[in-house]
Amino acid sequence: MLSFAARRLAVAALLVWAVASLVFLVIHLIPGDPAELLLAQGGVAPDPDSVAALREKLGLDQPLWVQYRDHLASLLHADFGLSMVDEHPIGAEIALRLPRTLELVGLAGLLATLIGLPLGILAALTIGRLPDRILSAAAGLALSVPVFVVGTLAVLVLAQQLHWVPAGGYVPLAKDPLRHFILVLMPAATIALGLAAAVLRVTRSAVLEVLERDHVRAAQARGLPPVTIVRRHVLRNALMPVVTVLALHLGSLLGGTVLVEFVFNYPGLSGYLVRAVEARDYPEVTAIVLVISALFVLLNLLIDLCYVLIDPRVRHG
Amino acid sequence: MQKLLMPGLLLTVIVAAALLAPVLPLPDPVRQDVGARLAGPSLAHWAGQDEYGRDVLARLVWGARVSLSVAFAASFLAAIAGMFLGVLGGYFRGLVELATVRAAEVVLCFPPLLLALLVVTLLGPGADTLIFCLAILFAPGFARVAYAETLATRNLDYVTAQTSLGTPTVRILMRTLLPNIAAPLIVQFSLTIAAALLLESGLSFLGLGVVPPAPSWGLMIRSARATMEQAPLLLVWPCLALSGTVLILNLLCDRLRDVLDPRGSRARPGFLRTLAALPSKRATSMPTASGLLSVRGLTLEAPGPHGPIPVVRGVEFDVAPGETVAIVGESGSGKTLTGLAIMGLLPPAISVVSGEIVLSSRSGQQLDILRLREREIRALRGGDIAMVFQDPSSSLNPLHRTGSPIAESLRAHGNPGHRVTELLRRVGLPDPSRAARAYPHELSGGQRQRVMIATAIANHPRLLVADEPTTALDVTVQAQILDLLSDLKRSDQGMGMIFVSHNLAVVSEIADRVVVMYAGQVVEQGPAAEVFAHPHHPYTAALIASTPEDDIDRLATIAGAVPQPWALPQGCSFAPRCGHATPGCESQAPELFRHGERRAARCLRWREFA
Repeated sequence: MLSFAARRLAVAALLVWAVASLVFLVIHLIPGDPAELLLAQGGVAPDPDSVAALREKLGLDQPLWVQYRDHLASLLHADFGLSMVDEHPIGAEIALRLPRTLELVGLAGLLATLIGLPLGILAALTIGRLPDRILSAAAGLALSVPVFVVGTLAVLVLAQQLHWVPAGGYVPLAKDPLRHFILVLMPAATIALGLAAAVLRVTRSAVLEVLERDHVRAAQARGLPPVTIVRRHVLRNALMPVVTVLALHLGSLLGGTVLVEFVFNYPGLSGYLVRAVEARDYPEVTAIVLVISALFVLLNLLIDLCYVLIDPRVRHG
Repeated sequence: MQKLLMPGLLLTVIVAAALLAPVLPLPDPVRQDVGARLAGPSLAHWAGQDEYGRDVLARLVWGARVSLSVAFAASFLAAIAGMFLGVLGGYFRGLVELATVRAAEVVLCFPPLLLALLVVTLLGPGADTLIFCLAILFAPGFARVAYAETLATRNLDYVTAQTSLGTPTVRILMRTLLPNIAAPLIVQFSLTIAAALLLESGLSFLGLGVVPPAPSWGLMIRSARATMEQAPLLLVWPCLALSGTVLILNLLCDRLRDVLDPRGSRARPGFLRTLAALPSKRATSMPTASGLLSVRGLTLEAPGPHGPIPVVRGVEFDVAPGETVAIVGESGSGKTLTGLAIMGLLPPAISVVSGEIVLSSRSGQQLDILRLREREIRALRGGDIAMVFQDPSSSLNPLHRTGSPIAESLRAHGNPGHRVTELLRRVGLPDPSRAARAYPHELSGGQRQRVMIATAIANHPRLLVADEPTTALDVTVQAQILDLLSDLKRSDQGMGMIFVSHNLAVVSEIADRVVVMYAGQVVEQGPAAEVFAHPHHPYTAALIASTPEDDIDRLATIAGAVPQPWALPQGCSFAPRCGHATPGCESQAPELFRHGERRAARCLRWREFA
């Protein structure tokens, strides 16, 4: 169990390093002078002086390996550098906004699991009958509506037309817990809708697959009642594929926060990212992409460790 | 195929509208008319006008053109690049695989939208940037599909054979790979188009994708947000268009997958069955079991492409208390289905046509298992009748300790759960209290089968159905399990056993009586010793002759194969393979001729063999 965790941790560290290198390399992989690219506006060639100034500022005039070494060294010190636009320290801004995005992602994941899992089980157990048909159709619909459409329509109906909730924004927890919760709940529920549909679908097919396994038939041959069989011999076994697919959806979940934070004007990490991309502030963008990608790797690691809780074979293997 | 019609047709309409946008009688999508800003629907502008007075319908259609062409171009590029990488990696393996497939997968370490944003920062927004970065994002997906299929194709026996004959591998690969890869590729392609459409509109929505004034659905939603209070409909149209298109694409994907891979569309699991297999009869017409169990006229059908196929036909036999009856036959003879029917555990595809399976239960009742409701059979399973399955490794839940199924079985029938260790000792597991805490993967195959047997005998069943209980085990372990079963029979005098096997050597060791099945029918039955010494049916004789024995080197085989259930011969099912067949055998299906108290054979010429 410990060796498994250690192995997974090593893989995760390796992945973070790969991501950091890739983020570093992207600017060099794209053809053309990076500084020129960043300053180019609609095909107009930038002023050579400012290109040279930017090149020096970003350290692009150094040899590649020196740049790479400095890049990794500063990351080890959690130093993300200064913004290109107004020179504020990027690390501090990330530290301020990261917890808000984490809260959003956590709540969305929780909601999606709480809704998707039981409904998925219900759909599987009523396969072909009315509840399954309704749930499967609803999941198909929910998966097809883009997350920013859901958010925008939610703002239109719930905030603009019905005036039930504020259109967006953020209030710190300490200031007004209820309002804080409502303001987080709206974007979280928006992300959770699509995610819950994904969870429902996987749960449904995973449960159906487990129901056909030999050990379920063997449990039937022992005369166990269906409730016991589902509870003891289907659910936990079906959880493995569900967790796997959840991991696959993490990417779109984190991507979804970018859109949803924009829709609800939520001051999280992703909103910061959009602003940085708009300003083409390269140091900011790489820093945020790196942090979110590291978060992605970390969440994947947590999910891998979930396997250990579910399956004894992983624990011993 | 019919299921594809509806989404396919709708998608065609959308694509056609996008393609024909320049020739359709639509107003110019970028011509402004600030005087009529935010005007509602009118005859000239069916869907109204936006914040610059531009025609919304025209912008929707032109938006489809932009969004779909970006999505299609990106998916196409991704497919070409991904397939190239995947085939290369799958074909050469080793370092090339690392440089192609594995390198492409690094992209998957990023949340897709983030990578897109990174590229947009460098290149600036615009449709070309978008196509470029979407292609990068989706290429690894194609690379994976192509890689997996290339590997699978490489290892096909057919390909190996061709390679050894000297055909150039590249040609074989292209010839076998392309048809194989087409189906998953089509699915992957339509999935990618939907995903690309979502990402494109998302980025455009953020103002980082398609650049205004070009219309795109994401961009339209973005600009309509500013005026949603005055003109909410302006927001609704592009939302509907975008979601509707993605919905149709997803629907097409799902249906496509169902059509291409029929395994995906499954039947209702048998587990969810609640009704009896057959409607109940009058109590008076119910036969009584001569001893413990009577199977009468059991007929089962499986669905086939041209109507139902009979897989078990009029099977009859009895089991007396304490007797071991072996059901013997080749695979496909219907012996396992007969065993499952007795447990009321037939697979959902199999339907019961007629027959009775009457059990005299512990409470003294005569129960017809085929006519009991699921709830009533449940009380019998694991209690009066128990079953040991062929493969002990898949029959144990890998997530539970081995003591758990035994305890479950005990509790389900109202017995205290503390006899687990005692039962594990009874089936000969060394250190039973430790074994009870072990997980299945920590035990050997033979030990797992002992656990299954302990579970089966937990509630002193009157009848034990053992379906090929030794087939999945090593030969040395087989003998131990057989010894255990005979030992259990000796110590539990009343317990009857049905032993399903294809292995005559095993059967001769354990059975009191033998029922030989062929093509879904009983062809011979009688006391084991008599049948083995003097078989009355040519099939039984052939089976005995083909049993390997230590002192005989030659091994006879039965020519031909069991007839397929949908192509049964008109006369005797065995006639085409029978060395003694006469013209009469091929025209007339023999009945089961009984003679004496205990023997029967389904052969027109049985008297000559007797």
